[in-house]
Parts: sequence; structure tokens; C-alpha cells
Amino acid sequence: MAQGIDAGPEDANFKVASSPANAQKQPPPESPKSIKTRGFVILSFWAVVLLLGLPVWLWTTSIHRARLPLQHMLDWADGKTCKPTFPLQITIEAPFLQEPEAAHLVRMTQHALDDLNEFSAHHLRLRLAKSFLSRDFQNASMTSIEDEYAIGPLTQFGNTDGLDEEALTVRLQPQPGAQTARAELQSHSTRLDVFYVSHQSPSVSSSSSTLATFIATKLQELFAEEQAIVAYILQSAQTMGHAPQISSSASSASREFRSRSHRSLNPELAARLDSRMTRSLKYAPTYHITVSLFTPSAAPSSWEIELALAEYFTPLLDSISGVSNFTVDTQVQLYATFSPSVHSPEYDAEQQIWTLREEDLSGFINAAEWPLSPSIGAGPTLNFVLYVPDRSTSPLVVRGSQASSWLIPQWGGVVILNPQNANATLNEATLLKESIQPALLTFSHQLLSFLGAPQTPPSLPLQLQTLTRIRAASLLLSASSTMGSLAWVTVALPSIAIPETVSSAVDTTLGHLRSTCEALKEGRFKDALENARIAEIQAEKGFFEKSMVGQVYFPDEHKVAVYLPLLGPVGVPLVMSALKELRRLWASRKAGQPG
Amino acid sequence: MACNPRNAFPGTVYNNADRALDLYGDNIEVDYRGYEVTVENFIRLLTDRLGEDVPRGKRLGSDGGSNVLVYMTGHGGNEFLKFQDSEEIGSWDLADAFEQMWEKKRYNEMLFMIDTCQANTLYKHFYSPNIIATGSSEIDQSSYSHHADNDVGVAVIDRWTYYNLDFLETQVTSPTSKLTLADLFGSYDESKIHSNPGYRWDLFPGGEEKGRERLVMDFFGNVQGVEVEGVGGNETEWREDMRRLEEIIYRARARGNMTGAKKSETPVEEVIAPGRDLGKGRVEGAAKIEGVEAWGQRVLGAGALLGCALIWGGASWLESR
Repeated sequence: MAQGIDAGPEDANFKVASSPANAQKQPPPESPKSIKTRGFVILSFWAVVLLLGLPVWLWTTSIHRARLPLQHMLDWADGKTCKPTFPLQITIEAPFLQEPEAAHLVRMTQHALDDLNEFSAHHLRLRLAKSFLSRDFQNASMTSIEDEYAIGPLTQFGNTDGLDEEALTVRLQPQPGAQTARAELQSHSTRLDVFYVSHQSPSVSSSSSTLATFIATKLQELFAEEQAIVAYILQSAQTMGHAPQISSSASSASREFRSRSHRSLNPELAARLDSRMTRSLKYAPTYHITVSLFTPSAAPSSWEIELALAEYFTPLLDSISGVSNFTVDTQVQLYATFSPSVHSPEYDAEQQIWTLREEDLSGFINAAEWPLSPSIGAGPTLNFVLYVPDRSTSPLVVRGSQASSWLIPQWGGVVILNPQNANATLNEATLLKESIQPALLTFSHQLLSFLGAPQTPPSLPLQLQTLTRIRAASLLLSASSTMGSLAWVTVALPSIAIPETVSSAVDTTLGHLRSTCEALKEGRFKDALENARIAEIQAEKGFFEKSMVGQVYFPDEHKVAVYLPLLGPVGVPLVMSALKELRRLWASRKAGQPG
Repeated sequence: MACNPRNAFPGTVYNNADRALDLYGDNIEVDYRGYEVTVENFIRLLTDRLGEDVPRGKRLGSDGGSNVLVYMTGHGGNEFLKFQDSEEIGSWDLADAFEQMWEKKRYNEMLFMIDTCQANTLYKHFYSPNIIATGSSEIDQSSYSHHADNDVGVAVIDRWTYYNLDFLETQVTSPTSKLTLADLFGSYDESKIHSNPGYRWDLFPGGEEKGRERLVMDFFGNVQGVEVEGVGGNETEWREDMRRLEEIIYRARARGNMTGAKKSETPVEEVIAPGRDLGKGRVEGAAKIEGVEAWGQRVLGAGALLGCALIWGGASWLESR
């Protein structure tokens, strides 16, 4: 090293001497070693940039997007994958008929039903009771009519067959002495008793029968509302068809289907269904019910609500627990005043009642001051408010209709509890459970309508079955449409990340949607609802994935503004040195080649 | 803001230096305040991408039947609005958030109002249907404050907001008011506002004509419909219903409990606005459109960069000679 340094000035002196015209002092020529070193330095810089910097930059700025089966999702939303059908199994029991006769009757009734039915997705299938087929006829005819007897063996048969749950049992019984057939629906079981006049029972040869027509009409009537609701749900899903390209390519089949369902819905019914649908709550796996007692004075300050709930309310909740879960809590609020915007009740001297104007009912709930916060628990809250008016303004009713209860769509119900008779007073310290009973029954009624249960077949088990089917259908459609929305959002917003959890949620949803669809086709409605619930939950979870918030949008100008100050100063020396080095290599190669 | 230690009148916000109208009233609920007000939180609120632990009071529980009002005011500029002092929300962010809301049926109709400088640029990029948008000022226009309160030490309200509030306070007197958006927009006096308010109707089905017929209370009111359960005429039927239900409940109780279903924590919320018919279908052609000028901008940027490089190269070449 030391020698090298010594040698430098000598060289320079020599140069200066040889060319005196050039006064400028030239730097010493670089040694090949240092040129080589410089080459390595530049190379190593570039190596760090390309091998380390670039991958890190790409890795840290890339957005992870899990693969989603977009086409499948859109197909579901479009209704291409699944056309839900609702085959309802109805068993006919005719213990007093010969088997061929009964079979013939079933066939004819089925024919009559098929003629009556306009809506093909929802149809009733009849079958003859298995128990009847296997049972000794003599035995059966002698058995008296018992509730449990008829249902017991049937359900067993249903299970062993692996068949769907049956929707309804029709039990045929001859009724001597009557002129016309009549039907009676058991309000607490899924049984329709048909009493027929004995001469109406058809012979095997006859091609038509008044009895068959009668049964078919009755059945059709029973399920008319359910059909209408199902048609309405399917139709609204169709008309709210998802993305533009989908609606334009809607298959003719679905259009035909739509028009058909249109035909089966008359405008009045459609309007009624519309109001019912807006009234009913969006599906949630758990609902929270708050039962509150409000009174403008100090009494009643307690109520036997726990007893009353256990007796009048919980059984209903238990029987609908297959659809949703419920949690209940209660509260008492004294000195609850109306909000100032509400007109205070007016006295109607004629009828000796206090009246509330109907327009004011929407402001009856003093949302600002009454503690009816929706923030309890996970699910949506249904509020049931029991209002005990002050003695001085009692009885309190709504003007005009004289009603004392009303329903606030998607929020809850209100009941004004007036004393049963003029002498009695409710403003004792404690409300007895007997006085709460009518209110709780009203609440039960309101609860059913909030859940979207139909009103017509006057049998709770039937209503619940219908509710199961309706819920399964609407959940199927809503989960499908969520899938479509998710697919659409994914395509439309390329800048949002899609984590793997979304992808797995989508897979689960699609899987459960498929099983729902199959279960519906086979008539396993409970199964379908179970699957649809999971599908809905997973679909919502996928769509509302917390980390899927679009990063704040950066215009390109912003990106340039961020990167240029950083990369400019670093990049220019890098690029220029690389260029110089390349030029040198090029030159040396050129110089080397001729020689 | 009301609880900011620098507020000379703690717990209150007034619209006017005369301090007649306390905007906080007696029982206002503020869900997001202070440093919780961030762009991210706002977008999460709109799209409901919130954790399961977020209480329902802090969520926007809207659904396909809800009308949503978005009113924003603050400092802003061309296609952005500032949140706090450090961040801003862009026009594209809003547009994308609204699109996601539309996709998940989180609104039926939306009224977007914004009061900031160059406010009308902020709704330029919206592309989701059923939105009516309005802003206080055109591009390159400032939106001015109305007046300052010397005791508080700041301007208390913007002009456009002031006249909107004035309209709502003086004209819309009851929840049953039938005033329309046409009335509200017609009340804007440009000489008082000192800027030109803008409107956007093209996303609304039926365009301006239908949009102007929308009631102000559709967006500013929370009118809850009520269904009175009639007694009178069909009282017997009603009683019968009740009796039946009672009987059913007894039966059910006798039968004993059924199986309980699974629990889940997916929260779904109740609706604020009264439901409405949504069967209008999707507006065709409402899709995100990248403007052609984006490419032009890119070419321009690349050209500028190239130019810089050429100048630099030329300079160094000259120097080396």
C-alpha cells in the first residue's frame, strides 16, 4: 500500500512534465483492483435492492386476496343453482275405508289438488297412512278416536322410512246423519279431522268425488297463506335481482316463474304481505325481549312478572326455539312521563274514557327518557311495553278504535293496561299475574307476527311449521344474495384485502346452501332451516369480515408524491452508477476485442 | 366538541352566538366523539365491518328499508374532507363505502349533504343508486362560516349549515311535515350562503323530478309507523284469537320443553326508518367507472418524469464536456 501511494506523485510529475500545456492536475489512474472493487460495490448495492428491497416492498404493499368461487357465488345470488321447492307431505288416514277405496280417494284428491294449485314450487303431496296399511282393519275400526293413538305410530313410520316430516294428517271419519262434509282443524296439533257423509265416499270405479274435491279445497285453503308468503318471498328475491348483468341474462324460465307467482298474488294480498314483511324482524339467531312496566305514578311498583312469564310466555318461546332463541328480561319504570311533543290524553265525557290521538301513538314511547336501550345483548331487541295509566287518566284507550294495544313495526308492542272493571284499580303496589295475563297474551300474539308467522291456519303447530319453511326460504335467499354481494364487492373494489377466513366462510356457506336446497327438495324442512341458519350466519360473517375495510383510496398522484422523494435520491446514484459501469464494461470490451 | 376543555360552555354546542338553541339539548346521544372520529371508524360504521364486541348503539342498524342521511361538515378541499387534523376521507372512499352499503342492502334511499370548501367535488365519484347528494359549494369555491362567537373564540357554524338548520327549525315544525326536498333546496339563497350549492340527482331513480318530491322528514325525521290492533268490530275474533293462543300455550307447556337451538353472536339490528317498498330493482349501469382521463394523467406523469430525467441527463452531459 505504502509503495502504491509513493508511486502516485511520481507518475503525476511525469505527466505534468510530458504535457505542460495541460495545466490541470489529473487524478492518478485507478488501479484495476479498485475498479473491480467499485464494480462489486455497485453490484452489491443492486443485489440488495433487487433481492431484498424489491421483494420486501412487494410483500409489504401487496393486498392479500383469498380466492373466492365468484361464479358459484353469483350463480347462487342469481337463483341459477337452486330453485327452492316445498313439497309438503300430507298423510291421509281413513280407518273406516277399505284400502283400495282409500287409495283411490287419495289419488283423486291429489288430482284435485294439483288442479287447484297454481304455484308449482309449493305443492302438497298426499299419501295414505302407513299405519293404516299395516294395521289390521278390524282393529282399527273398533278403536276409538284418541289423540295420541293416531299420531304415535305414524311418526314412527315416518322416522323408519327416513322420510320427511309430515306437514299435516288428515283423518277421515264417517259422520252418520250429517248432510254435508265438514272439516275441523285441531288447534293444538297438526291434524285435520274431516267428517264425511258416508255415501260421499267414492267407489273405486268413480272418476270424481265430492269428498275428494272437498278435501282438496280445504287443504288448499289451509296452505293458501303460506303459499302466498312463499311466492312473495321468492318473487321479491327475483325482482330485487342482483347485478345488472344478471338481470339482463335472466333465464326465460325464471321470468316465467316470476310471472306465474305474480298471477297467484292478487294486489290486496300482496299489499298485506308487504306490510307484514316490513313489520317482521330481520332474522337473527337470538332475539332479546325486554318486557317493561311503565307507569306515570309511583304504583304499581312491582309485578309478578316472573310467574306470569313462566306461565303465559315461556311455553310459547320454547315451542318456537327451533326457529330462534330468546332471552327475556324485565324492568319497572316509575314516574315515566310522555315526551313533550305528545298531546296529553283527553277526556271523553260521553264514554267516560280517556283517549289518545292515533297520530300521537308513534310518539307515545318517550324514546329519549324511557330506558329502552337497544344495546343489551347480542341480538336485536324486541320491546314489549306495559303501560299502566295513572288513576286520574284511566281507562286510557286510543281514540276511534278504542284499542288499548298497538304494534310498532320491528320495534315491539305496547299494551295499555286498564282495570278490568270500573271499581277495580290497578294502582296497587303489586300487579298480580292474573292482571298481566291479557297483556302477555297480546305480546305473544305480537311476537308471532314479528317473527313473520302466518295467521290463517288456526293451529300453532301448523303455524310453526309454516314459519320453519318461510324462514328457511328467506334465509336461503338472503344468504345467497349476500354471497352475490360479496362477489360483487370483491370484483368492484380491487383494493380491499380478502383474508382466508372470508374464503372459508364462503365455502361453508355454499356447502350449507347446497344442503338447504336438497333438504327443501326432499321436504326435510327442519334440516333445511338448520342449514340455512348456518349459511346465513357464515355469509354475514364473511361479508362483514372486520379486516375487509378498503384501505383509504390513494390517487396515483399521491403515490408519486410519496415514492418520488424517497426513491429519487436513492435511485439516481444507483441508476447512474450502473449506467457508467455498464458503459465502461462496454468500452473495455470494445477496446479488448480488436486487440 | 361539547366536552372539549377549551369549550367555554361545557356540555353545549350552540348554533348561534346568541346561544338560544343548544344543539346538544337534554338528551342527545353521541356515539363517536373526539378521537374516535376517524376515517376508518366512519367507513367501518357505514359498512358495519365492526368487531363483535362493538355495542349495537354504535352500529348503523339500517337495512333495505331504511333511509339514511349522511351530513358532513368540516374543513375540506377538492375531493376530500378532513377528519381531525391528521387524516382525510376522499370522494372515492365514500363512493366505495356507499356501494358496499348498497350491495348489502343497508339503505333504501340516501341523502348525502356536505358543507365544506369545494364540497360538490366530494360526491362526484358516487356510483351507487338511490343517492341524492348535495353540497354547499362548487369546485374552487370556499364555504364560509356564518359568524364567530367571541366568547367561545371560534366560528360556531357554517353558512350553509346555518340556513339548513334555520329551515328545519322554522319550517319543519312537526313530525308530520309534508315539506319536500324541493322546498329545502329552494330555500337556499346564494347571496346569503356566499357559495353555489350543488345537487346530484342522476343516481336517484326517476332523477331530479322524483327526488325533489321526497319528503324532508323521510331523511330528517324518525317517524315510526304504528299499527293499532283493532278491537271494535272484530272484538270477538280478537278475543277468540287470544283464547286460542292461551289454550295453545297451555298445551305447549304440558308437552314440555323442546330442544334449544344453538347460540350465535351475530348481531343484527333493528331498523330506524319505517320500511318502504324496495322492489324497484337495481339501476342499470350503476357501476364504477374509471375515467378515461386516468390514463391521460398517467401518461402525463410518465412524461413529466421522463422530462426530468432528460434534463438531468442533458445537464450532466453538458457538464462532462
